[in-house]
This record gives sequence, structure tokens and C-alpha cells, in this order.
Amino acid sequence: MIEFSNYDILRNLLFATQWTILLSLAAFIGGSSVALTLTALRLTRNKVVHSLIRGYVELFQGTPLLMQMFLCFFGLSMLGYEISAWGAAILSLTFFTSAFLVEIWRGCIDTLPKGQWEASRCLGMSFLQILRYIILPQAIRVAVAPTVGFSVQVIKGTALASVIGFVELTKVGTMLNNATFEPFKVFTLVAIIYFLLCYPLSLYSKVLEKKFNGSR
Amino acid sequence: MLHFADLLQYSDVFFSGLLTTVELTVLTTILGIAVGTSCASIRQYGNKTSQRVVSIYVELIRNTPFIVQLFFIFFGLPALGVRLSPWEASMIALTINLGAYSTEIIRAGLASISKGQIEAAKVLGLTFRQTLTRVIFIPAFEKIYPALVSQCIIVMLGSAVISQISVEDLTYAANLVQSRNFRAFESYLVTAALYLGLSILLRFAFNSIGKRLFVYREAP
Amino acid sequence: MKRLAKFLGKTLIIAAGLSALNATADVLQDIKKRDLIRIAVPQDFPPFGSIGTDLKPQGIDVDMANYIAKEMGVDIEIVPVTSANRIPYLQTKKVDLVISSLGKNPEREKAIDFSTPYAPFFLGVFGSKDESVSSIEELAGKTVGVTRGSVEDLELEKYAPKSVNVRRFEDNNTTLTAYLSGQVNLIATGNLVATEIATRQPKRAPESKFMLKDSPCYIGMAEGETALQAEVNRLIQKALANGDLNKISMKWLKAPLPKGFGV
Repeated sequence: MIEFSNYDILRNLLFATQWTILLSLAAFIGGSSVALTLTALRLTRNKVVHSLIRGYVELFQGTPLLMQMFLCFFGLSMLGYEISAWGAAILSLTFFTSAFLVEIWRGCIDTLPKGQWEASRCLGMSFLQILRYIILPQAIRVAVAPTVGFSVQVIKGTALASVIGFVELTKVGTMLNNATFEPFKVFTLVAIIYFLLCYPLSLYSKVLEKKFNGSR
Repeated sequence: MLHFADLLQYSDVFFSGLLTTVELTVLTTILGIAVGTSCASIRQYGNKTSQRVVSIYVELIRNTPFIVQLFFIFFGLPALGVRLSPWEASMIALTINLGAYSTEIIRAGLASISKGQIEAAKVLGLTFRQTLTRVIFIPAFEKIYPALVSQCIIVMLGSAVISQISVEDLTYAANLVQSRNFRAFESYLVTAALYLGLSILLRFAFNSIGKRLFVYREAP
Repeated sequence: MKRLAKFLGKTLIIAAGLSALNATADVLQDIKKRDLIRIAVPQDFPPFGSIGTDLKPQGIDVDMANYIAKEMGVDIEIVPVTSANRIPYLQTKKVDLVISSLGKNPEREKAIDFSTPYAPFFLGVFGSKDESVSSIEELAGKTVGVTRGSVEDLELEKYAPKSVNVRRFEDNNTTLTAYLSGQVNLIATGNLVATEIATRQPKRAPESKFMLKDSPCYIGMAEGETALQAEVNRLIQKALANGDLNKISMKWLKAPLPKGFGV
């Protein structure tokens, strides 16, 4: 009979944590790249582009992340694309992350007074110049805090990848739970590890928020 | 190849799943906002100790995944002698979750009501109850209403996870049908569409409630 | 709206074409070409497949998978799956074979193909001592935990009285945890799984209440892969004849294969 010592449990959980971190990073990078592109497209003020982005956001904010993962994992293969659990997890988390980030960033740009655009245009600045020197520096300052705050949601979202069989922290938690039959111990440890990953980010986001709000 | 017709015979499974999801959503929205309102009031007006307790609760929930909270409540708590049915465990987990998030949101609303307003209400001779509802809560809720609505929808979508502990919700229906006729893609696609419809409907319902709730401004 | 419908229709036709294209490929040739066979095994179903302290699966199904790969002379990729998703894995070509204590039933036969059996298995209802049940009728009004999409799930659905409260869980992990944490007092599962729980957790050792079905394990593969099916059947027969299959049985079940098994 296999015996799991506390050390074995912790060792395996910490090992799995690496995958949670890696998946979070990949999703965050993927999500923010897509969101950045969409935010840039939004600035063109083209009506069709706007409604397409609106639809994208509605679709991915309006359906459960779990469903998106199932669809990416089993659906895409049905349509003839091979995809691994890892690929499906990254893909669906990228959709999820970008749909929320594009909304958050839109809010940040919209908080800047419209007058700034007009004033800069009057000064003879081009669209890109306005963006580069006037809008972005301010928008980024406003955006950092909620973006860091949202990264916590991404980390927590990766837990759902366990359901499509990607072996990360939650999955290893359920596997260990089955091997040890000690759900209380295992899930407490899993929760503590997630907390240690997320809390510093939450805290940092709050500090940033105070800092930028204070200086305004 | 897609065979949506294969799903038709399971329409009652989908329907009862949809009902369970709606039922749990309505219940946990009410309970969760109640928990959030109480905790936010404590955070804003309570003493130091109770403020600390509330912020520990909020941070613990906000910084761990819902699925882990759910597993903990359903599988972990029996070790302490607390045994809940899947439905009860889900309802509690969802309420605790929405409670923590809405605490933060509602507190921001309460913080936006300045002391001066409350003093002004006192000077004008408003009763305690009038002050509480008309000067503090309704204006505070109006400010944060959109954020609160979004959070409720996020919790509704998050409830897909409760299928993992055998609650027969919409996602459970999708998985059950998928395990019976092996039409995974069609089943998930239909379910995703149902969730999308549900979140649009929920937003619509909230907005019409909001219009009723915040009419006082239009009064002459 | 009309244009959208047309566009969607077109996408579906293209998609259908793509998947049809996929279906005509010969999996056995693919395996030989990439010199790798991908096999789905359970990781939450002792003694068929469970994890060791290094989180790697081990058990009858894993040994069987390794045997098939070795005999075919190709590398192996072990893919851990759950009961609920093992058939979609096969249908979506994420794996070539499913060796995951898979039982046969008409619903599944419509979706995938099976080899000859490689291990014996009996399904039954098991539970704690204080539950007195001795037949499927006596389940009326009681709560039974089961893994969604498993043969025992389908058996219960077909034969159990309507008043039985069947709680279906995503995977065997969760079903077992539900039993061990006391969330359900009865579970429908395999005899070997129940024995395994008893050795691990004597305090909650499940008693055998009654048998549901004799349901030996088969290897599953995508529909219409006749070449692959023939090859797998040949390897099973070979292992049966030279005693390899019996060795696996002795190692994990501590008992020889029943007389006349697989003949």
C-alpha cells in the first residue's frame, strides 16, 4: 500500500503550484496581448469594430469559464483541430482574461476627460502623438491597479483547468485527496497555497490604487 | 459533424438543470447581498475587532478559487462533523462567495456618502430609519449598482462549478447528456448559449429592478 | 440575419468536412508513423489505475497499456482521464486507445469500438454496515453515489426504482471521496474498487450489498478502426495464451484470471 507522508503531500502540491503559476502567466500574457489589440482597435471609433468587440466581451463575460474550457477542449477537436488540455486551458483563459481586461482598460481611457483629446488636437498633435504623450501615460497609471487586481481572478480561474484534466494545483489536490482520503488537510493546504499566491497581488493592487488616487 | 437533434430528447434534463441554476442564483443573490450589506456596514461603521474579522473573511474568500472553497465545504467539513447536502453546500459556498465580493463593492458605496450628508439629514429632522434608507443605503447602492449587478452575474456563471459535487444544475445537465449520447460539443454549445441567455436576462431583470429602486430622483 | 445563418451553415459544412476527413485516417498507421501510441488510463480507480507518491499512474490498466506499446514496438504516452471524459477523448482523437476499466454497453457501442476483454470486473452496490439493502428494489428512497457516465450509472438508471436518489459525480475520485467523507452511505462501483477502499480505510470499509452486473473490462478505440482492433485483439489473445495477462492479474488482484476468461 502506498503511504503519503505530509511531506509527500506538500511536495506534490508545491510541484503542482509551478504549473498553476505557469498557466496563470501564460493566460495573463495571452489575455493582455489580445486585450491590448482590441483596445487599440476600439480607439479607431469605427462602429462595426465597436459592436464586434462589444459582442466578444458579452460572449466571454456572459458564459461560464468552465463551459468555455469544455468547448475549447472537446469542441475544437470535434472541428478537426488537435488541442491538448494545456492548450485548451491557455486558449479559454486568454479569451476570459482579454474579455475582462478590455472592459477594464476601456473604463480607464474613458475616465480621462474628452477635452484632453480636443485640446491636443487643437495643438496640432496627430492621433498617435495624442495617444503616446497624453492619453496612454495617464491611462496606464489608472489601469495598473485594477489590472493587478484582475490578475488574482486569472490565477483563481486556472483552478478550473483541473476539470478538463490539466494537472495543476487543484487537480493534484483532488488526486492526493483520493490517495490519502484526508480532504480536510489537503483542501486546507490547497487553499493556503492559493491564498499565498493571490493575497500579495490583492494587497499590491490596493496599495497602487491608494497611491494613484492620492496623487490625483 | 454536429447533431443537435440528438439533444431534443434530453430537453427536460436541460430545463430542470436551468431551473436549478436559476433557483440557486436568485436565492444566493438575495442572501449574498444581505451578507454583503451587513459586512459592509460593519467594515464602515463597526468597531476595530469586528472590522478585522470582516476583512479576514473578505480576503480569504477573494483570494482562493471558488472550486476549492466548494470542495472544502463539501468534502472537508464532514471531518469536523458538519455534513451538508450538495445543494446546501453549494448554496452556502455561493452565498459566502458573493457576500465577500459584495462587501467590498457595497463598502465603496457607503464610503462615498459623506458625513456631512448624514449630519444634514439629522438637522433636517429625518428619523433614523429615513436617514438610513434615503440618505445612506439608496444613494450608496445607486452608485455601486452596476458593479454589484456584474458581480451577481459572475457568481451565477461561477455556479457552473457546483455540478462537480453532483448538484443537478445546467452544467450537470450538459455533462449528463454528454455521458449518455456522447455529443459533447453540441451539448456544451447549447449549454453555453443558455448561460449567455441567462446572463443577458439577469442583467435585464436587475436593470428594471434598479429603475424602480432608484426612482426617487425623478420625483418632483 | 439571413446572411449570418448562411455563414454559420457554411462553417458547419466545412467543419463537418474536416471531421469526416479525420475519420478516414487509419489510426494504426498513424501510431506506427509517429512511433508513439497515446493511451488513456484512469488515475483515480485502484487497482486499475491510481497515483503513486510521484503522481504517476500505476495499476492493471497502466501495465496493460505498457504491454500493448511494447508489443507494437512504439513509444507510449500515458494520458490520465476520468470516467466521464474518456470517451470524448477517444472521439476527439486525443488518444488512440482507452484502457480505463471500460465496460461495454449498447450506448457506448454506438459511439466507439471495443476489443476482447482483458480483465474481469463485477459491478455492485456497496455501503456502510448500518445500511441494510440486499436488492435493487430495496434501494427505494435511499441515496446512492455513482460516477457519471459509468456502466453502473446506466444500470442504476435503467433498473433502480424511481425513488432512488442517484447522486452523480464527475469522476471516481469524487465518488469515493463522497463515500469516505460520509456524504453518501451507498455507492455503486466495481468489486475491486470497493476492496481497495477497504484496505485503505478500514473504518469506512464498504460492505458488498448486491451485484449489479458482470462487466469485464475492454479496450476502447475509435469507430471503424478495424486494423487497430485486430492488432489489439491479437495482442490480448497472445498475452492470454502466454500467461502475461495472468501475471498482471496476480500482481494487482492477487488472484488468477477466472477459468475460461476471454475465450
